[in-house]
Amino acid sequence: MFSKILIANRGEIALRILRACRGLGIGAVVAYSEADRDSLAAQLADEAICIGPADSRHSYLSAPSVISAAIVTGCDAIHPGYGFLSEDGAFADMVRAHGLTFIGPPAEVLERFASKEATRHLLASHGLPTIPGSGMLRDEAHALEEAERVGYPVIIKPSAGGGGKGMRLVRTPRELEATFKVSRSEAKAAFGDDALYLERFIDDNRHVEVQVAVDRFGHAIHMGERDCSVQRRHQKLIEETPSPALTEATRQDLCRRAVEAVVAAGYENLGTLEFLVDSNGDAYFIEINCRIQVEHPITELCTGVDMVAMQIKIAAGEPLGMSQSDIVSRGHAIEFRILAEDPAKDFRPQAGQVSAYLAPGGVGVRMDSHLYPGYEVPSYYDSLLGKLCIWAPDRPTAIARADTALRELLVDGVITNIELHRAILANKVFVDGRVTTNLLDRVGTAPFVAAGSR
Amino acid sequence: MPGDRKAETRTAPPGDDPARTMRDHQAISRLADDLLPALIAKLASSGLGEIEVREGSFRARLRKPAGADAAKRAAGRSAVDGHAGHGHAAGRGSAAIHGTRAGEAAVEQEATLVAATSPAVGIYHPRRELSLGMRVRAGDKIGTVDVLGVNQDVFVPIDGVIGTSLAEAGEAVEYGQELVRIELAERASGHEGARGELEPAGARGKA
Repeated sequence: MFSKILIANRGEIALRILRACRGLGIGAVVAYSEADRDSLAAQLADEAICIGPADSRHSYLSAPSVISAAIVTGCDAIHPGYGFLSEDGAFADMVRAHGLTFIGPPAEVLERFASKEATRHLLASHGLPTIPGSGMLRDEAHALEEAERVGYPVIIKPSAGGGGKGMRLVRTPRELEATFKVSRSEAKAAFGDDALYLERFIDDNRHVEVQVAVDRFGHAIHMGERDCSVQRRHQKLIEETPSPALTEATRQDLCRRAVEAVVAAGYENLGTLEFLVDSNGDAYFIEINCRIQVEHPITELCTGVDMVAMQIKIAAGEPLGMSQSDIVSRGHAIEFRILAEDPAKDFRPQAGQVSAYLAPGGVGVRMDSHLYPGYEVPSYYDSLLGKLCIWAPDRPTAIARADTALRELLVDGVITNIELHRAILANKVFVDGRVTTNLLDRVGTAPFVAAGSR
Repeated sequence: MPGDRKAETRTAPPGDDPARTMRDHQAISRLADDLLPALIAKLASSGLGEIEVREGSFRARLRKPAGADAAKRAAGRSAVDGHAGHGHAAGRGSAAIHGTRAGEAAVEQEATLVAATSPAVGIYHPRRELSLGMRVRAGDKIGTVDVLGVNQDVFVPIDGVIGTSLAEAGEAVEYGQELVRIELAERASGHEGARGELEPAGARGKA
């Protein structure tokens, strides 16, 4: 096992990893940028080290700075959290070259799963259903040809992308002609790689993902699925488990096939397989996330597994120490992403000082947040302020507990989306478990807020 | 702790005359780049509590808080404020529609006057010939920080002389960590042993 881990991330996840290290009796060093000097993780850590300026390109995304910080503080492993360097194979390789361990899949596994397009082929060959789509698009003519074959509407995606950035929905050949070049230059600008592919667009879909864990010895388990259909412009807002969209038989089948496919493909450590589920309940594999997910706590609430600790143990070469029959998912859990965004102003990210903060409590309530009164929300990073996670024996009780907790949650000084969450909770489509990923974008958030405030 | 020294420049309300706006911009950047550092050095080396200089329609005033000691100076910071808004009522009234722009080019100058800091996280190696009292100029390299075998230079932020070392050779340092204190040249002119120079120190025109 490791003796000391460098936490190369910020915000709530830095805190989450710090807690896991403490629980395992492992020392932890928090690496922070100048803008995060007063962050809760840096304050609570036994040791903290400034790795660069606020601009993440020169701090959280700078592989030499992160590795140098780990070496000078005597760490033997680096936890990258999510985002930043968490799925960067070259970084994982560099970490290993310096005699340290990357907490996540080994470099060659990250490389194997780096291209979404290649990953879909790989996992399709191991039995996962995929959306009809193209290979890498050579040029506009090739794109038109492939779109015709796959069938409109299609969605154009950057191969190197993530988080919904750079994706374009195209309904006709004319639209495709108009957007192809733009998409290519956007992909180049955002990811340094202009490779694009396209897929048939499945209207009214749900986003369901399966959580898997594989150790170095090929032992593997799944920890059920999460439904992340409540989204705004491809950004997840609310996640829950189990998914209201799946029957028990479909769920078992999907999870089992997911585990079998990743083991056959040589995956290692925690991973999340994302699927689109259409209105018939058919699931199509879309991509794998080779890291801890933002929404991992709801799986923890239902299974009782400390997933960050599990991730660390697997990276240290320990066996899983449990089999599928040990994983029992109980009850229902929902996560609400509390964001510093103004729903009234097109969700513009907010920065500023948190003048008051009070986390809710009660049965089945977990708040993962780095906020404290007086904390200055910096403008340089994402707008996630925390995650309110609720557990209850069943979904209706979870919704009731969530509403109570959202009423209690107090964040002053910065505009948040707390009220939007309450409005969504009160909406019949959500209560009935019928939300699709396009719902918020199609109807807009205003009707939700208006209906919720009545 | 910031704001030990405060400097203010005020302008007369700029009008809508582009030539005038241009002149104001030039004056502001000259104030920020040349005059203020010189004034700050002068103020630090003197026993004065306040210095005020007028030039054309601009006025710069620096105040040193009573009891400011060396330790406090370490976190010192100087700011140049040029809010033209102050002067609005004085002159052209409604003519100043985009007149505020010139003044709002307010220069926030963070002056790390007192220490050379680490450019990265790594192992610090000061230059061997570095010695207390050595005269240095802004931009001089006084050491390196080794980041995974790649050396990143440590620069002197301002003309002055080498003061106390704040980190040892071979020590692990973090980004932004203060490594060597730099005493202002005027203040340290009486410094004992102020012999060595990193480079021939050509006398620089000072206000």
